[in-house]
Amino acid sequence: MFVMCKREFISLFKGIKSIIMIAILFAVSYYAAKFSSVLSSGVELTAGEAEDIHTIGLLSVILLLGQLFVFGLSHDTINREIHERTMRFLVTRASRSTILFGKFLGIWLFWLFCIVVSFLLISIYSKKFDLFIFSQTMSLVTYQTALAVLLSVLIPRPGYTMFLGNILGLVLPAFGFWAALSPNGWVNWMKYFIPFYYLERDDFTFLVILGLAGIMLLAANTVFRRREC
Amino acid sequence: MNAIEAKQLSKAYGAHQVVMGMDLTVRKGEIFGFLGRNGAGKSTFINMLTGIISSSSGTYSLLGVEGPDSKVMKRVGVMPDYSSLYGSWTALDHLRFFSELSGARASKEKCLEVLRSVDLLLHANKKAGKLSFGMKKKLGIAQAIIHDPELIFLDEPTSGMDAESVILIHRLIKELQKQGKTVFMTSHNLDEVEKICSRIAIMRDGVIDKIGTMEELRAFYRSTITVKIKHSTVPKQEQAKLKQWLESAGSLLEHGDAYTVITISDENKIAEIIRAFTQCKADVLRVEVEEPSLEEIFLNE
Repeated sequence: MFVMCKREFISLFKGIKSIIMIAILFAVSYYAAKFSSVLSSGVELTAGEAEDIHTIGLLSVILLLGQLFVFGLSHDTINREIHERTMRFLVTRASRSTILFGKFLGIWLFWLFCIVVSFLLISIYSKKFDLFIFSQTMSLVTYQTALAVLLSVLIPRPGYTMFLGNILGLVLPAFGFWAALSPNGWVNWMKYFIPFYYLERDDFTFLVILGLAGIMLLAANTVFRRREC
Repeated sequence: MNAIEAKQLSKAYGAHQVVMGMDLTVRKGEIFGFLGRNGAGKSTFINMLTGIISSSSGTYSLLGVEGPDSKVMKRVGVMPDYSSLYGSWTALDHLRFFSELSGARASKEKCLEVLRSVDLLLHANKKAGKLSFGMKKKLGIAQAIIHDPELIFLDEPTSGMDAESVILIHRLIKELQKQGKTVFMTSHNLDEVEKICSRIAIMRDGVIDKIGTMEELRAFYRSTITVKIKHSTVPKQEQAKLKQWLESAGSLLEHGDAYTVITISDENKIAEIIRAFTQCKADVLRVEVEEPSLEEIFLNE
C-alpha cells in the first residue's frame, strides 16, 4: 500500500493544475490571515468567531472550492488506469484493496500536506495552530477525497468523471448549505449525507463525516474488487 | 508441486461461455505454449489465472497456492496482452516501480541488467511514450521478470517484434527455463511455440482440444506422414505392380518416372516402400520424410 500511496502522493505534485491549486490555497490562507483585521472590522463577530477569523480565507476556499480542487486533481485516479490498461500491471502485483486504499491515502496525504502548510502560514499571524478547525477541515477533505475515489471507480470513463466532477464540485457546496439550512422536508433529510451540516457545530459531530467517507470507500472497494481490468 | 493447476475453470459473460470448465496442469520448469485462434479464450484464461478478471466457476492454484491470492502474485510475473505503459515514465522508472510493487525493490544495477537482457539498455532513460511498439513489448517482458519471479505469464510476447528481437526473446525465455522458472506463453507464431515450448495446448472454443509435447501431438496426427522418394525409372513390366502396391500402402499423391510422393499412417511402412521399389528393380536414390508441423496440426484442427 505504501508504494501505491507514495506514487500517488508524488504524482500529485507534478503538473500545472496542482501547482495552481497549491498556489491559490497558500495565497488565500496567507493573505486572508494577514488582512483578517480588515475583514473583521466591517462585521459584528462573536468572541469565538473573532478568534477564528484568521482561518476564514482557507475555510472559504475548502468549503466552496475544495470539492472542485479534489475532483480536478483526482477524478480519474482509478478509471484512467483501467481505461489506459495500466491497471493490468497493478492488479497482477497488488490486491485491489491495496491499490484503492493506497491511492486514497496518497491523495489524502497530499491534501494533508497542503492544509498543514496553509495552517502554518496562518499561524504566522494568528500565533496559534487551531487543532479543532484543522481536524474539521481534514474531515471535510477526507470526505471529498473518498467521493472522488468512489466516482472514479463507479464511472469507467475519465472524460465523464471530469465533467461530472466539475459539476458536482460547483453544485455540491451550494446544495449542501441549502440542504443544511432549508426547512423543506424533501431536501432537508439529505443534509445527513453531506458534510456541511456536521461542520456547523462546535463539537465533535464532524467525526460523522469520517464515517461517511469510510462508507464511500468501502463501497468503492466492493465495486472495484468485482471490476474487470 | 505443479506451477499451475486449473480445475473446471470457467468464464461466462451472460449467456456467452468464453472458457468452459478448463482443466490444466503445468509442471514446474516447463515452457508451456498456449495456442488457439483469435477468440478461442486464451487471454481470458490467462487473465483469470493472473487476477485481471475473476472466474465464473472452478478453482486454480499457482505455485501450490489457491488463487486468487495477492501474496503468491509477488512470485509471479505477468506480461498481459493489450496493456499499455505509463507514457511519461522512463523504462527505468517502470522497472523500479514494478519491482517495488512486487515487494522486491530492484537496485539500479539490477534494472539495467534486465534492460540489457531485452536489449533496451540504450533506452533506459527514454520515456515509454517515445518507444516503438516492439520496444514497449520488450519493456513489458522486462517488468514481468524484474522481481525474479518463479512463474512467468507472457501473452503473445513477440508479436510485433522484428526477427532479431524475436530470437533474443526466445533465448531469454530459454535462459529463464534454465534458471528453473516456469514460463506460460501464448502465441500466434506456431513456429515459435514449436521451437521453444516443452509442452503445448491447443485451445478451441473455450476448451483445450489437444495437449502434449510436440512428439505426442505429432503422434496423434501420424496419419499425415509424407514420404517423398527419388528413384530410378521403374521397368515397364513392374510399374503396374508397384503402383498397385503403393496404393494399398497409403495415399499416392504423385507417381512419376523419377519421383513419388505418398502419405502413410504408419512410419513402419517406410522400410516396406523402399523394399517394394527394390523388388520392382528400381533404385531408391533419396527418401525424405516430412512429419506434420505444428502449423499443419493446428490447421487440421
